[in-house]
Amino acid sequence: MAINRWIQSGNYRRSYKEDQTIFATFSEQASLIVFLIFLALVPHMPFMNRQLFRVVDLAFIYTIAVMGLNIVTGYAGQINIGQAAFMGVGAYAAVTITRDIATPLFQFGKTLPFWYIIILLPLSGLVAALVGAFVGLPSYRLKHLYLAIATLAFQIIFTWGVGHSPFLNQGGSIRIARLDFFGTVIKGSKTIGPFFYYFALIVLIIMAIAMRNILRSKYGRALIAVRDNDRAADAMGINPGLTKVYAFAISGFFAGVAGAIFALYNGSVIVESFSLSTSIDFLAMAIVGGLGTMVGSLIGPSFMLFLDPFVEKFSGFAQTIFPSTIDVATAMRPTIFGLIIVLFLIYEPRGLANWWRLLRQYFWRWPFKY
Amino acid sequence: MAYFLQLLITGISIGSIYALAALGFVLIYKSSRVINFAQGELIAIGAFIIYALTVWVHIPIWISLVITILISYFIGLGIERTFLRPMIGQPIISVIMVTIGLANLLSGLVFFTPFGTLPARYPDFLPDPIRFGGLIIKWEQIVGILITTIFITILMWFFTKSTLGISMRAVADDQMASLSVGVSVKKVFALAWATAAMSAAAAGFVVGSLFGLEFGSLTAIGLRVFPVVVLGGLDSIAGAVIGGIIIGVLEQLATGYLDGIVPGGGTGDVFPFVVLIIILLIKPYGLFGTVEIERV
Repeated sequence: MAINRWIQSGNYRRSYKEDQTIFATFSEQASLIVFLIFLALVPHMPFMNRQLFRVVDLAFIYTIAVMGLNIVTGYAGQINIGQAAFMGVGAYAAVTITRDIATPLFQFGKTLPFWYIIILLPLSGLVAALVGAFVGLPSYRLKHLYLAIATLAFQIIFTWGVGHSPFLNQGGSIRIARLDFFGTVIKGSKTIGPFFYYFALIVLIIMAIAMRNILRSKYGRALIAVRDNDRAADAMGINPGLTKVYAFAISGFFAGVAGAIFALYNGSVIVESFSLSTSIDFLAMAIVGGLGTMVGSLIGPSFMLFLDPFVEKFSGFAQTIFPSTIDVATAMRPTIFGLIIVLFLIYEPRGLANWWRLLRQYFWRWPFKY
Repeated sequence: MAYFLQLLITGISIGSIYALAALGFVLIYKSSRVINFAQGELIAIGAFIIYALTVWVHIPIWISLVITILISYFIGLGIERTFLRPMIGQPIISVIMVTIGLANLLSGLVFFTPFGTLPARYPDFLPDPIRFGGLIIKWEQIVGILITTIFITILMWFFTKSTLGISMRAVADDQMASLSVGVSVKKVFALAWATAAMSAAAAGFVVGSLFGLEFGSLTAIGLRVFPVVVLGGLDSIAGAVIGGIIIGVLEQLATGYLDGIVPGGGTGDVFPFVVLIIILLIKPYGLFGTVEIERV
């Protein structure tokens, strides 16, 4: 039976090899390419302004961190309340490596060359991966969800440790030099927005491909096996403890890369960017997007970041109702984000990714109902 | 020596607060395997209700403590009914994340009230501290230890003598088996949350009278519960008490002896968490926790 490779109304994969393919149909491939072309054109659109660039750039950077979180929480089934701290480790690694090793070694002036950034990103990722593996180490002996507590402890120790080390300027702002992209210095809002749009997007695509490939490999399936039933996984020759430690390391790597880009993007790091509430925001993004789905970690951060300005606007409006002693802006954000986490977990635990799936299936089968 | 004894006494009194806060946490974990990340918010809310009743409604503070504990019972029931009941049957990981969302939500709601920014104190209701040799013992500390003792005694009685308490232990042991002998698991979960809220309110009262009502430091006690329960064992009530006191004393000793060495001080805030990570690495089930033995 010949299979229509463009339009399919269901899953026609017949062998394991076919099941491992990333795209079921050519139309999926085509629509992805169209979407990427659209993304590449977005910075040239007339409606793009500075605020919008900031939202989109941050969305890309956070997406990388959330993808890592999704590997640990969505696929390996371990709660991680310290993803922001892992991101912070990456950011501080990038800054201190540049300040204390690379600048004296290579005699960088006021700007950093682009080739150095290419090396710096994976390096910061590696540092964060090592830290991630260390924090995940208790999972070698522990079952259940104790590890959530370890990640929380790490988050607290990280914030405290950075705030108390003179080496890291007591958590205050540490500057990192701006980039020199083949002769163009990335400086000022005119160039930073578009440059980091493309830069973060390309890193994001590379990381997404890496994540997709990790997840469809033997190792990725081991993760899911451990999440679903660690005893059965053990019996099949998978080492559950080691698998979870690896998951933490990979997640740390993603967060570290995101942190390094974040540091370069802002031109400085400050410890407040990597607080416990940021970690919870990441968790919210992963939950809203859909845990354990690739698409979810791509949708979630954008959704939450685009929601943020609306929350701000709404709390500005609500401020007129409340007495001035109450700061509605600080109250509204945790309320709405907490509510979103709870409501999504209760009513749509599979997140926005599930809506996306239903939408796609509707069009696949159209005009039939099922 | 007097310095050491002073730290020890303060540590024990603070540790008894931790023990009180951890009791509720352990009850929830024991009965439903849920790690409750909203314990700190429950503590804060309890402390604020007592303040509102005493200062705004002018009820004597001891009576408002009793009233608040009663109110907290219903707050706990309400939280269980609205947020946790719909999650029955879902994987535990989602339920735990619900408590994270709940913590966020509750803290947001607190900021809608004046308490979010109000640095309030309870009116003085206890006599001056006792001075004994070089030591200073505050009455608030004694009250804290007393309240913890009372709570633990009541809970011990409850778990060994009352039918409901025994059914709670049964659920903690084996949910399926207790369902089959007619124990209402839902009721047990609700009761666990109600008790957790009650003990959190009592802890909030003691913290509030010792350190004042600052939202951040009240919720920080909720985070400090984690080192306590990891040290004591997540599912052990005795562990919560002993762990609480050990962590309280360690924290005070760290503050007393390490703050001079570490630039910036504040070692007491982080030391319990360092202990936590070390315990997880060397003795993951804590001092009294049940070590899981799995047979397939």
